[in-house]
Amino acid sequence: MVKTEALTKDYKRLRAVDALSLEVRPGEVYGLLGPNGAGKTSTLRMLATLITPTQGTAKVGGFDICTEPLEVRRNLGIVNGGMQVYERLKGREVLEFFAGFYGLAGRRFQERLEWVASLLLLEEALDKPVRKMSSGMRQKIVIARAILHQPQVLLLDEATAGLDVFARRALLDFVRTYRDLGKTLIYSTHVMSEAEEVCDRVGFLYKGRLIYEGSLQEALQEGEGSLERAFIRKVQEVVA
Amino acid sequence: MNNALRIFGKEMRSVLRERRVLFTTLVLPILLMPFLMYGPAIFFGKVAKQTAEATHKVGVQNLPPAVLEQLKQAKLEPVPTGDPVQAVQNEVYPAAIRLEGQAFTIYGRLAGTTQSSLVVEKIENVLRNYKDTLVAQALQERGLSTDILEPVTVRVQDASRPQERAAGLFAFLIPYFLVVFILSGGQVVAIDATAGEKEKGTLEALLSVPVTLRQIVLGKLMAVLAVALASALAGVGGIVLGSTVMRGFLPKEMLENTRLVGGLSLEATGYLALLLTAVLFAAFMASLQLALGIYARTFKEGQSYMAPLLLVFIVPLLMLQFSDFLTQHSGYYLIPAFNVMLLLDGLVKGAAEPLQMLLTWLSSLVYAGLALLLAVWSFQREEVVFRN
Repeated sequence: MVKTEALTKDYKRLRAVDALSLEVRPGEVYGLLGPNGAGKTSTLRMLATLITPTQGTAKVGGFDICTEPLEVRRNLGIVNGGMQVYERLKGREVLEFFAGFYGLAGRRFQERLEWVASLLLLEEALDKPVRKMSSGMRQKIVIARAILHQPQVLLLDEATAGLDVFARRALLDFVRTYRDLGKTLIYSTHVMSEAEEVCDRVGFLYKGRLIYEGSLQEALQEGEGSLERAFIRKVQEVVA
Repeated sequence: MNNALRIFGKEMRSVLRERRVLFTTLVLPILLMPFLMYGPAIFFGKVAKQTAEATHKVGVQNLPPAVLEQLKQAKLEPVPTGDPVQAVQNEVYPAAIRLEGQAFTIYGRLAGTTQSSLVVEKIENVLRNYKDTLVAQALQERGLSTDILEPVTVRVQDASRPQERAAGLFAFLIPYFLVVFILSGGQVVAIDATAGEKEKGTLEALLSVPVTLRQIVLGKLMAVLAVALASALAGVGGIVLGSTVMRGFLPKEMLENTRLVGGLSLEATGYLALLLTAVLFAAFMASLQLALGIYARTFKEGQSYMAPLLLVFIVPLLMLQFSDFLTQHSGYYLIPAFNVMLLLDGLVKGAAEPLQMLLTWLSSLVYAGLALLLAVWSFQREEVVFRN
């Protein structure tokens, strides 16, 4: 469902993503793990067609990110930690606005709205102005916006940043639920404990390079039960 | 196009829910313009009237008794002083007079319109009368009539077009405030739709939907354009309100003191031409503001980018007062923005020629198109859009 081949991104003299090749299958949560500046956000932005790769290519839902960006976007949703929705609109209005871009209107929109509201428990937020919502509720609206069109691929980039414990728990529960619907998720984070909870497979990204890839169990074995220890060991191997 | 309209609708909904923006762009111009038009003039008229009626002390040195008497008749109280200059500088008197030989010197504080300058004017009148009396006496002694002083008469008559005459200061005010309100009204929305979206973290979500950048920019452009034009219309509405409704409530003598009078007497085509010119200029400015706004990381940074834009256009606006010296060259009607100001000036005066309109409209359309391309190009640049 998501396949990258030697995906590379340069910012002037900095190589943010270095020949990244990976594949994520339907019904799988892939953890893209690494410290800040590892290239996670650049990778997800390339997959979401927000920025263009310097080299290499990728396919999302069978569509090429360079030549078919609009098709890619139709089949993808993205949420990142800093993402917000329009403060002056009500929750329902925000979702209606974004739904329109996917051809969801009238009864179809209403059905999707009910689906997403029950999935994320946000019925009470729909008629509230976003500016009056708690940060957790806002994040739910951000997620609802990203999945309203039921994309095959969902990219989550540090999606729990700034969330309180309840909102964070709700998000992690949602990730599992969405995966169980047969969707493909890439979960990018530097918080290893979160990845241990939700990911099926993980990839360690360090200075733009994929230095390790394996199932969650394999990675935990590498770190003697700790994903964080596994990551540090792999970085040390690369540096050595 | 549907997607662009959807974005336009969202932007407008956001604007309409922001009372601060609504007030400053739409309500304030209507309320402010009548005050700006008549407030200072009424105030000045009142002060001038009070000054004319009140008796003011003036410092005098070496004045003949006849002049002193005439000063008293003109409600001026002469007070002998040793140093007239010092007395005025220290604000002991609003004005002073010294006679040296045959020369009278009037001292006053003449920077701007001050009470001192009004008193100086009163003294000038007194001395002019005194001089006329002396001349009349001298002529009489020689058996000559005072008519000898005016062998011919000189009369000046306004031969301008009726529309130009009717416009009065409107000829300057309408273009000035149309441009100012188009710039200031559109600015708020342009920054909010670009740097504001970046700062609030909503831009990335919008860019991730299956819509082309051209549609996104077009949607935002329509919103900036709509608010800029609404703001401009509110400003012009305020001027019209000031010239019609407000005038009805003001005492006649007060109106006589105000010089800011005028009115639009255009035909329907004239109004349409005004509107088309304003729309094209607003489209040009809105695109430019979007292109600038997307470079900014925050709303505040966006404001600092836009401020020079307003200043850039203030200079040619001020030059409009001298437009009569410039209108002979068709080339001026190709200069971005300045052409619009010249044409607006001409339209209000009823003096615009078809060639000038054609050049202005076509060139403005081209500039608006180029600015739109610049805005789309700016939105395409990753280092600009994700500069935060």
